[in-house]
This record gives sequence, structure tokens and C-alpha cells, in this order.
Amino acid sequence: MDIVLTDSSIRKFLDTSANSDVLSQNVSLCGPTFDRTKQIGDDYVYDIEAITNRIDTASAMGVAREAAAILTQFNIPAKFINDIYQEKPVFRPGLPKQFHFNIEKSLVLRFSAIAIENISIKPSPKDVALFLENCGLRPVNNCVDITNELTLLYGMPSHIFDLDKLAVQNLTIRPSVEGEWITTLDDEKHRLVAGDIVIEDGSGRLVDLCGIMGGQVAEVDEHTKNILLIVPAYEPKKIRQTSLRLQKRTVAAQLYEKQPDPELCLPVLYKAVQLIKERAGGEISSPLFDHYPLNLPAKLVPLEFEWLNNFIGIEINPETVVSILASLGFGGTLDSHQITCTVPSWRYPDINIKEDLAEEVARIYGYFRLPSNLPCVNLPSEDGDPILNAERTLKRYLSDIGYHEIYNSSLVSLELLEKTGLNPENHLKLNNALSQDYEYLRTSLVPSGLMNHKHNQGKIDEPLKTFEIANCYLKNNDQELPFEVSTLTTISNENFRKVKGEVEALLMKVRVPDISFKQVKRVNTFFRAGSEIFSGKQLLGHLGLVKPTILRSIDLQTEPVVTEINLSHLAGQMSTGYNYQPISEYPYIVENITVSSHQPLGDIIHTINSASTLIKEIQYLESYHDRHTFKVSFGSDARNLQQSEINVIKDTILKCLSA
Amino acid sequence: MVAKVTEIEQIRHELDNDLKKSGSSADVDKLRSKYLGKQGVVNLLFRSLPVKTNPHLGQAINELKNLIKDRLSAKLTETLSHAEQDILDVTVPGQIIPQGSLHLVTQAIEDIENIFLKLGFARRRYPEVETDWYYAEGLNIPKDHPARDDQETFYVTDNTVLTAHTSNGQLREMELKKTPPIKMINIGKTYRRQTDATHTPMFHQFEGLVIEKGINITHLLGVTEYFAKSYFGQERQTRLRPHHFQFTEPSFEIDITCGVCQGTGMVHKLPCKVCKSGWLELGGAGMVHPNVLRNGGLNPENCSGFAFGWGVERVLMMKSNLPDLRLVYSDDIRFLKQF
Repeated sequence: MDIVLTDSSIRKFLDTSANSDVLSQNVSLCGPTFDRTKQIGDDYVYDIEAITNRIDTASAMGVAREAAAILTQFNIPAKFINDIYQEKPVFRPGLPKQFHFNIEKSLVLRFSAIAIENISIKPSPKDVALFLENCGLRPVNNCVDITNELTLLYGMPSHIFDLDKLAVQNLTIRPSVEGEWITTLDDEKHRLVAGDIVIEDGSGRLVDLCGIMGGQVAEVDEHTKNILLIVPAYEPKKIRQTSLRLQKRTVAAQLYEKQPDPELCLPVLYKAVQLIKERAGGEISSPLFDHYPLNLPAKLVPLEFEWLNNFIGIEINPETVVSILASLGFGGTLDSHQITCTVPSWRYPDINIKEDLAEEVARIYGYFRLPSNLPCVNLPSEDGDPILNAERTLKRYLSDIGYHEIYNSSLVSLELLEKTGLNPENHLKLNNALSQDYEYLRTSLVPSGLMNHKHNQGKIDEPLKTFEIANCYLKNNDQELPFEVSTLTTISNENFRKVKGEVEALLMKVRVPDISFKQVKRVNTFFRAGSEIFSGKQLLGHLGLVKPTILRSIDLQTEPVVTEINLSHLAGQMSTGYNYQPISEYPYIVENITVSSHQPLGDIIHTINSASTLIKEIQYLESYHDRHTFKVSFGSDARNLQQSEINVIKDTILKCLSA
Repeated sequence: MVAKVTEIEQIRHELDNDLKKSGSSADVDKLRSKYLGKQGVVNLLFRSLPVKTNPHLGQAINELKNLIKDRLSAKLTETLSHAEQDILDVTVPGQIIPQGSLHLVTQAIEDIENIFLKLGFARRRYPEVETDWYYAEGLNIPKDHPARDDQETFYVTDNTVLTAHTSNGQLREMELKKTPPIKMINIGKTYRRQTDATHTPMFHQFEGLVIEKGINITHLLGVTEYFAKSYFGQERQTRLRPHHFQFTEPSFEIDITCGVCQGTGMVHKLPCKVCKSGWLELGGAGMVHPNVLRNGGLNPENCSGFAFGWGVERVLMMKSNLPDLRLVYSDDIRFLKQF
């Protein structure tokens, strides 16, 4: 929680020689963080971030308590003073009862109230008004300002009603009913749902949206003479629900939702009464009402010194441990090896286990005083994750051969799915998307990839080549979680043959054996013509040209070649070992052969290759209509070949392939 | 006899012509084999003439041979020294091989991974779509805890989320290893419902987890410092500040000194615009909460551990001084090719 406090307000509870700089810097290291300091007149205003589970530090007194403990460790003299917990409020008995509260169960932790008569409303003294203004609050009048001032000083909100505006002095604290309305002090109307905490004045009117803001009907104004002061502590979860739902994040709401210490109710109420008498006159006209259903047993947490030292990593002597804990308000019984701490009321919710106490000791002692040590933890040897290894190699390789890596969002729009012919039903959809642009989890990287190409149209003149490696999320109907499949997609504006060559080279780079490309009629949603990529019998992915309808619907002018490879399938095929092949002592003889055939080139190559075992390599050179030229290497690992043998093989080939 | 002498003269004459025509060392090499090779002019002459019966003739041919050798070697020297003086316009633009690019995030992940691999961490990747148990409840965030109200988490179903942090890897790693030691770095995609100059709905985090008997706060400091100095530079300092997370106790916020003002908080006598008084927030960390160890099947009496989860883009931005995180996720090749 972020709060604004003045230096002078903190010093009401802190006696120290430390100046503003020393105070803010040192306390930030060990306690609440002073984010910013601003000088106003001869005072300083601090933006302070109270750590979320330390609502007790969201007040001048709370910050002062921390500061006194911390500065002492820096050897700067500092004392925590004017501790409100030390004050013993006394209330006069025997006054006539003027009001009654009916409180429904489990809405409050504590509820204290008292009535005051014959006050005179006027502006607050200048110093009070200035304090509130410096802390970002608007002064209202002497009585309302007291409640705000005490909230800042002690972290416990309070509220006053105009007693005469309450129809009947029989008030009910109850959960709201769906559809009830309340107008709050800021003149805003709120429609309530079932379960917000409200106070009803006995005539059906709501006079308080509890813990958030008072109701307008019982507002204290310049004519107010008699007031009802309440200092309650509400059920935190309910306050949070209401505050978040109505987006009404008042200081009171932010405090109440973190459960301020109910033990503060009476001292703060007493303090408020004193200040009201002092600034507005008036007299207490009712007995104290104090409903305190919360009955917490004393909380004891033991802390062993040896364990503490092992956990922090240095030796801190027991006297220091005890004095640090004492400075934060912890009591305890000490024996030779441990201290059993009594948790003070304001730390009751956040201190539960020994690790919580270790934090208190270590941070006040000073994290900055701890040395740095590298842990001597050695794992047994394990193999690297093959998919992560494949990703690393593929990324390097592709970027080396001219591809640009792009990261697209895993979340795509319904529009993009539809434009690229994908069925939204096959996609996981977010329950609470931020916008329609990011709503569905991708099952393919191709649509976003095509959009990348569209966005870059006309921006560069070299052929655009891009790739992405990311997870695709495939519904897994039997299971709660989807399959997350690491996938590579490349999209290139170069010709098919070039891209296919790059894919082959890439697969060889990661030592995938036995690569083949199978022409298929209908590869998947995106391709008009394409091929399945295999390693042995394992399908690795697809390669092909995108359907013109898709290109048109996303307005992409080029016709890129797209590759999709499933990296878990690929990783399963990668071999890590080397396979040594002796180099033949007998040089190969290389000849160009031109054949005629209507068959696909792959079939022609297959035919040539099966003509003889002496054919070692076939390289495709060019085609002219049906005539195709290959560079064929003949050779044997055992002997030199004779030209006559080669001629026989060539004849065989030409016989098979002459259209 | 005269005829034979004439033949020698002819050869000399031919050599003169040949030498005049040859300009490169390769030409000279060809002449060497033409005149002096096994089947060369000189050898043919030896074979065709009655050298044995006419010693003078033999001598004349040998003289010819020496002459040819000298002339050829002189010519070779000449052509080589000539070639040295050839003019080459070194200002001609080179033929560039088209360069691709690795994404900044990939580069940052590799940098981060390499640092932690040196320290012996095992690289992991855990699910991005995760159940509530691994994402929250098992991490000591009960169903009704206020930490759940943050509006940053994307829900896929009521019980599955798109992870807003990589800490789900903690329980999954404990389940994988079953016993300490554990030392992993989980790097993955994370998602939050926010977008502005420093947030994108999708980003990346790296989550460190070390569990073993005797792990203490100074070890967290050691690893943090090692990372900060390796990634940002040896002159950088780190510090811990108290913080609160449900799944660690104690919890810390880790700061490192600002690279712009060198940790002084001042640039040209004005407050540094990049940092808060000389320090930049790196991210959260803490000692693994005993409940989390229990939920992962470990006994907190026998081991302890620390964990941290930091943003890849955050450290990247801190290092590169890019003005806007959304740039990182641009698909403009003119931007991407710069890296």
C-alpha cells in the first residue's frame, strides 16, 4: 500500500537525530520503502510503500516504530515515543444510552462507538489542515479532519455521523441486499449487491458504506451539533470485495482490507474524543459501546538460534536477536538455545512461523551486512533437453542463412483465425481477454507469420525471410492442460527450390537422418501445394505454398514458401553421435547426363539412382521442357572404374528415361 | 648437320615468340612442359638426332636446354613481379551475404542461460497453460487470498491460467527431482493483462530455484551478485530489500546499481531519470516457503532453498536502454535486423 506522510508526523513518534535523508535511506533498506521525498516549507513529504502484509507500517506511528529499530542498528540514536498502545483509555460510566447497534455475525472484528454533544464545527487549525493537504487529503472541518488525521497517524480509520440526522438511534450493521442504493459523501450513487457491509439507521436508510466511505444522509456539516464517532474493524475480505467491485480505493478501504489491529480501536477512539473536545468543544454523552467478538489467543512462535544462523548464513549473537525482536514489540521467554516469541497484536496476522521471525531479525540486522556466497550444490549429470538444444541450433542456423527471427504473441484474434481458414473451436480461448486482438491461443505460427510479411511489404527490397520458434497449444480433450508443442515456422519470399534446399540443409545440420519429401494433395489448411517432410517414417512437418484465398484475405501481395516443423518430433530424430565414413581412395568420375521424362524430378532421380550401386551422387542442374540435366558421380570404394562400365550404366539410364 | 643446327635455331625462335605471347605464370608453366616436359620439344630433339655419334650435337642441345631453362625462369620472375603490381580497386563494394537476425529476446535468454549454466543450473521449460495448483494454491496462495484479486492473470478455464509468472516450475521441478539437490533455471513465456511502455501482454521470465540442505540467504545473495555482474558488468552492485510474496519467506526485492548514474542517483547534478536514487529494481526473490517445499513433496526440516523470478525483457531493457518495451515485439524487419 502506498501512503503519503510528512516527516514531522513521523517524528511525533520518533526521537532521533537522523535527518530526512538518513531516515529515508536507511529505513528503505530494512523496512518500508521511501520512494520519493519532497520538501514543502520546512517539512518533508514522503511517498512510502508499506509492504503488502505489513499494514501496521502504513501509518506515521508504524513507520516510526520500524525506523527506531532500524536506525539503532545503524548506530544512530533513535527512540520510539508516544506509543498509543501504552495509553490506557478511561471512559466515564453511567451516562444515558443514546444509541444501539445490532451487529450481524462475522461482519466486524471489533466495533467501538461513542456520542459527543454540543460541538461547534469550524475549520481545523492551520497546522492540521496543512498536514492533511501535504498528505494529499482535503481538509473538511475540525471534526472530520480529526478522523483523517488519526488514520494517517495510527493506521486505523474512524468515522463520524451527525447524530441528529440518524432517524432512530437504533443502528443495524448488516450485509446489503442486492439492488440497494447508497449515496456516499463524495456525492456518488452506488448500487450494491448482496453482501456489502452497510449501516442502516433504523428507518431503512443506509448511512454508511462500511470501511469504504460514509453515507451522505448523515454527513457532518457546519450545522452539526451532536455526533456519533465510530472506530470499527471490519471483516477484511468483505471490504476488499466491495472496494474492488465499486473501484472505490479509499485510504480506509486499503487499510481495512489488510486487517488493521483491532487493539487500536479504543486508543484511537479515545484520542479522537480528546481532539474533538480540544478543537470543537463538546462533551461525551454516551457510554462507550465496544463490541469485540474477535478473541484471539496469545500467539507464541519459537525461534532456535542455531537454526536462525544456518538459515541466514551468518552468526548473529542471541543478545542481538533478542534486542532486535524487542525493538519491534515482540516479547518472549528466553532459554539457552531459543527464544519463544509472543507476537504483538499489530503483527498477529503476518507472524506465524520461525521463518517470519528470521525475516524480522535478518532485515533489521541489515541484509546489506550479509556476505555473498555461491552455493556448493552440484547436480548429478543429466542430458540437456533435446528440444531446447534443437531450438538453439536451429535459431543460430536460420539467422546465419538470412532469416530474421520474430516473436509474435501466443494470443491471436478471432479475425486472424477466420482469415486464415482456421476453426476457432479447435483453439483454447481466454475467459478474460484484454482485447479481441489477444483472445485465442495459437495452434499454428503460420497466421501471425503471414501477418509479419504483410506488415513488412514495401519496407525492404531483399527477399523477406522470417522465422519463429514458439509453442502451439493443442487441445487435449482428455486432459485439463493442452499439449504445448514447440514449433518452427519459416516464411520466405525466395523460390520453392531454394527454401527446400535450406530446409534440407537445416535438417542435416541437426543430424536428422533419412530425410524425404512426400508430395501430398491436401497438406493442411494453409497450403495449396506442398509436401510432407519425413525423417524415416516420422512426419516432421510441412513445406509448401500458401493458398491464394488466404493471401488475398490478409492482403499479402507475395506468395511465400512456408515451412512448419514440429520440434518435438524433430528432436526425437536428431542423432548426437558421429558416423565415420572412410574416404574412397579411388576418385569418382563425374559426367553430365541429360534425360527426357514427364515424371516428377524426384522420380527421375530415384530411377537414375537405382540404375547402379556405382552411382554415388546425383546433382540436379537444369531443365528445359522435358529435358533434365544431372551431374552424376560414378565410383567404387574398391577400385578405379573403366569408362566402358560407366557407358553401360548411362545407357541403362537413358533407356529408362527417354520420353 | 647444318640442318640440325637450323632446327635448334628454329626452336629458339619459337621460344622467343612464345615468351613474348605469354603474360602469366600459368603461361610460363605451359611453356615449361612444352619445351622441357617428358614429351617436350627438347626431349624429342634428343631422341630424333644421333646424339651418341655426334657429341657436338649433344652439347648444342644441352646448351639449348639450359638456355630455355634460364629464359623460362627469367620470364616467370618477370610475370610474378608484374602480377604483384596489378591494380586492385579495394574500394569495390563487397558482395554481401544476406544477414538474418536473432531476436533480442533470444539473445537475452541465451546470455542468461549461459550465465546460469556456468553455475551448474539445469535449464528447464514448464507449462505456460497451468492448473491453479501449480500456479497458485500449491504456491501458498489459497483460493480466497487477496493476491488472487489482482486483475493481471488470464484465465483459460476456471481452474487453468496462462501463467503470469514462471514459479509454477518450482513445484514441477520438485516433483521431477523428488529429492534435493535441485538447481534449475526455468525460462519461459509469461502473460499479464496489461499493456503500456513497460508491459506487454506476453513477456518472458527466468525462474531460479536452488534447494539443498544448508541453503541460506547468503547463497541467494551470491547467485544474484554473480548474475548481475556477469550480465550487466563487473562494476554493478546488488542489494536486497524486504518484500512480501506468499511463496517465499522471507521475501526480497532485489535492486542493482543504475548503469546510467553509476549508482550515484545524480547525472550532471540533476536526479537520474532512469532510477530511484541510484538503484534499479531487478525483481523478486526469497527463501522458499516451507509450505511450498511440503507441497512439492520435500521436508522443510531437511532442506531449504531460495527462488527468484525475474523478467527477461526487464533485464534486457535495463541493459540496452531501449525506450519502449513494445518495440521489442515489433515485427518491423528494419528494427529487427539491427541486432
